[in-house]
Amino acid sequence: MELNFDLNNIRTTEFGIGMDDMNNQSFCLMAVDSNVQSALREMTLATWNAMIALNSDPPMYEASEKHESQEYVYLSLNDDLAHQMKLLHEANNLTINSNAFEEPTNIFCYFARLTDAHGRRLTALRRATQFKGALKSRFIAWRLMTDALKLVEDKIFRLDNDFDLLIDASNIHILRPNAFEFVGKLQDAILAAVPENIRMIQEDLPFVSLGSVQEYAINRPRAARHLASIRCQEQTRNIDKTSLKELCISTGVSIREVEEKIVIQEGHVMGFLEVLDRRRYKITLVRDSAEIFKATARQKINRGRR
Amino acid sequence: MTDNPHNEGLKAARLLMVLSSISPLFIIWAIRGSKLIPDLYFTVFCGLMVVMPYAFLVFRIRIAKRLAEKRELAIGSAEDHRDHILIYLFAILLSFYAANLDTLRDLAAAFVTIGFIIFLFWHLNLHYMNIFFAAQGYRIFTVYPPDDGNILTNKAGLVLITKRITIPHGIQLAVYRLSDTVYLEV
Repeated sequence: MELNFDLNNIRTTEFGIGMDDMNNQSFCLMAVDSNVQSALREMTLATWNAMIALNSDPPMYEASEKHESQEYVYLSLNDDLAHQMKLLHEANNLTINSNAFEEPTNIFCYFARLTDAHGRRLTALRRATQFKGALKSRFIAWRLMTDALKLVEDKIFRLDNDFDLLIDASNIHILRPNAFEFVGKLQDAILAAVPENIRMIQEDLPFVSLGSVQEYAINRPRAARHLASIRCQEQTRNIDKTSLKELCISTGVSIREVEEKIVIQEGHVMGFLEVLDRRRYKITLVRDSAEIFKATARQKINRGRR
Repeated sequence: MTDNPHNEGLKAARLLMVLSSISPLFIIWAIRGSKLIPDLYFTVFCGLMVVMPYAFLVFRIRIAKRLAEKRELAIGSAEDHRDHILIYLFAILLSFYAANLDTLRDLAAAFVTIGFIIFLFWHLNLHYMNIFFAAQGYRIFTVYPPDDGNILTNKAGLVLITKRITIPHGIQLAVYRLSDTVYLEV
């Protein structure tokens, strides 16, 4: 996968932070000197190099997938789950707030905003984990004319070695999926999207009664993640009713049919979602001894075919 | 998500930029003189009021260039403010030119009035009205971002000092930051 940005020809480098005050996110820029700008560019390059080293053909991010702490996945900027990051990336003339460090406990992320010679923008973002501790830290420093170390108290903010994600005009390139979920407020977005996801899936599956699924998933993040993943991957398109019923029965998901519609029995909603999300399967390697598995992480091998 | 209201940064810098905006007035005063203060002291005072803010302005531009204090501005619309220079000229320079500085009360009144004007310029971010820029062929625009429907986009107008005659809609410029609301394109 290519980055839609020229890392070797950067015109401007801006620095900003994200603040979360009572669940109200805001972003602002802060002025930084050329040395900080240079460090931010190095971090961006290090992030991209780390991504390429992990996987040159990354899979798409799935909300229901169990990701590694560091794993290169991508998500289209037009995806509903990318809404928060898209807002930040596409915002123009962000406010400059030189006093933003006055409330360090509200800071939840910092970011660099790079523009290349062609006017293309790249946003590089890192979840802030050390603001609370490091902003008012005490450091030991060596001083002139004596070899005795002295204690220095100062407001210091330490930059990391790389970013958690990069956003170009088309995609979010994610190096740390957990950080993306945190800064993108994905849990809230996924729960809020349950009714819309149900509506979309229902269009593909008119022969399934999804009322009980919506009721179950509306306040259960795990189920909501499955729904987001199912919809995002368009996994319900062209599903055959008979095949679905057979897979449900063979993997222990209890269903019944009422007026030609599949109704999921109570206590089996998660199992049904795992079936739709291709995470529940049966294998029979030992004769007359079928095994049913649930996959928390899985990868499609024939990726070209649906 | 909301924009955080905050104070405009670079307070001291803005104050000096306001002073540099009204520095032509001190040139006129230095020429006219005052019966109350010996010419030497009054001329030195006026000279300092002219030179120091200008020196600071030049210094601020150099610092911004040296530290590469650049940012990208997306322009949706731009308003030309040549009329501000005229207002500035008539409201400040001509009225003060006519002021009498020969009695203690007049002198005090003149300084208090200047104090009010400085405060207003500083408070209303009008520190970009500067003969220094105009003399070098710069124009002053108030620029607004494109109407992109993004709640994070800062909708407030920013002041752009540039040698361009017009600023086309939709253009993106890399500019130097003189203060949080004033930018210079060189």
